[in-house]
Amino acid sequence: MPPVAAAPRVSRRAWVTRGHLTAAALLTLAFVSPVYLTLVNAFKTQDQIIRDPAAPPAPPTTHNLTDALARPDRIVQIGLTNSVVTVVVSVLLVIPLGSALGFWLTRRSARLRRIVLAGFAAGLMIPPAVVLLPTIRILAFLHLDHTYPGLILANAGGGYLSFAVFVYSGFLRSVPGEIVEAATVDGAGPLRVWWTIVMPLLRPATATVAIFLSLWIWNDFMNPQFILGPLHGQTITTGIYLSVGQFSTDYAQLFGVMLLAAVVPVAGYLALQKQFIAGLTSGATK
Amino acid sequence: MTTRAVSIRVRPRRGDPALSAVALAALGLYVLFIVVPVLMSAWKSLTNENPLLARADFVGLSNYREMAHDSALTASLGFTLLLAGAVTVVANAAGIGFAMLLNRTSLSFRMMRTVAFLPQVLSGVIVGYVWRYILARDGILNHVLVSLGVIDRPVTWLGSPHLAVLSVGIVAAWVLTGFTTVVHLAALQSIPVELYQAAMVDGAGRWQRFRRITFPMLAPGTTISVTISLITMLKLYDIIAVLTSGGPADSTQSTALYIIQLAFTDDRYGYASAVSMLLLVVSVVIALSVTALLRRREVDL
Repeated sequence: MPPVAAAPRVSRRAWVTRGHLTAAALLTLAFVSPVYLTLVNAFKTQDQIIRDPAAPPAPPTTHNLTDALARPDRIVQIGLTNSVVTVVVSVLLVIPLGSALGFWLTRRSARLRRIVLAGFAAGLMIPPAVVLLPTIRILAFLHLDHTYPGLILANAGGGYLSFAVFVYSGFLRSVPGEIVEAATVDGAGPLRVWWTIVMPLLRPATATVAIFLSLWIWNDFMNPQFILGPLHGQTITTGIYLSVGQFSTDYAQLFGVMLLAAVVPVAGYLALQKQFIAGLTSGATK
Repeated sequence: MTTRAVSIRVRPRRGDPALSAVALAALGLYVLFIVVPVLMSAWKSLTNENPLLARADFVGLSNYREMAHDSALTASLGFTLLLAGAVTVVANAAGIGFAMLLNRTSLSFRMMRTVAFLPQVLSGVIVGYVWRYILARDGILNHVLVSLGVIDRPVTWLGSPHLAVLSVGIVAAWVLTGFTTVVHLAALQSIPVELYQAAMVDGAGRWQRFRRITFPMLAPGTTISVTISLITMLKLYDIIAVLTSGGPADSTQSTALYIIQLAFTDDRYGYASAVSMLLLVVSVVIALSVTALLRRREVDL
């Protein structure tokens, strides 16, 4: 082929590539524009926001953030603390419960395993609104309604546990039985085999469970809203709902509070991106 | 009799009491917070329980008979099913398209993939407030559309029933597309390049390559993505609660919101339980049948 004919072909391919990049970039920008709006407007005054909501913050102000943190009800600080405690304790409960149950099931008959896993599958499908009222009744019976221990206990026993059991059961299928047998022959009891042999092998599953449960429990709205009740405490998510209602037209305040609430999960996601995506997509490609 | 008792006692302990204890604690918690609540709902749905009444009476199937004539329930169920179906289709189609567009490995594309998932990271409450701001009468969307000449004057996106339904759908689809894009991206990356090379040699065009290779090879990802989209939409609460609170005129009241209203505003525990049982059955039947259907499709493809 003469070189003259090759040149336009190469440049045409370059144009296609550039066009593809531009299209992808424009679409991505449009797609994340709501996130962009939250970010820039958190650093703008009310006037700046009204004049041009999409403009970058020039000059930026941190007043919205300091105002949010200086609120007399301390809703941001209290909400963040309560959310951290709720998330950490719930996840620390669900991880050993889910993985022990998953491991225990591998040592039972296939029939029992199928029945139990089918029961847990239902837990993934049941809308939380369906079990909310009876859950509050049970917590009231235990004198745990409107308390954080009650909220945490309901988290540990509900759909979140289903998710953990499924992730662990899936990963346990790839753990070779010989490893467990060898450890058992060496005289280790099942509890020790689980904790010292199986748990380390399940680390990717634990990462998936910890990451997604943390995100979901942090962002959960319905359970804290009704199990705690507005008078008995706020997580950061119910806190925004409560506080933002008061200044529905004070956009500067609104975006300040929302940025402070969003920064923890977003930072967590950006730091743990790889594990996030790996956990999300382990089922999509077999 | 005695021999059997002895044989039990001398049988070697195959057991693992400590591990069993932890496992049974997990099972117990699950029974307490999923199984028992479902059974309680089933039982209460046969009563007229109400915190304002001194005692609850067994009323048989009268709650279920009332449901048949409850136009608010019919409307909420219709809205929930329409929203679940439409948003699942839109979010998955958009996810496949977006994933194909972002399926490159250079740094800029990796960055785009990272931000595409962001809607999934934000809580429904934040998503609701941001979009309420965007969709407001004097909001940025009207501003952009008016200045582009698409509409003559500002539209009340959340103020009229039909547009509010559309708006809730758009916001939910936006959130879900973050998820469907990532799942389909992973599925795309597992397709062997050789398939495309062979198809190009055979002279297959762009559309044929999508139709005969990409789409069928995406099937395992699509199964998961569609199932989770449906489950998410059937239980959706927080975004709607913030965006419209079910209004205007109950046009965006999902069945989940209706249950909450019956239970916590109207204090009709018995009837709320009956509606809960309906939503439970609808959710499980839809999730199971769609999964079965998509699994069969995977095999056929």
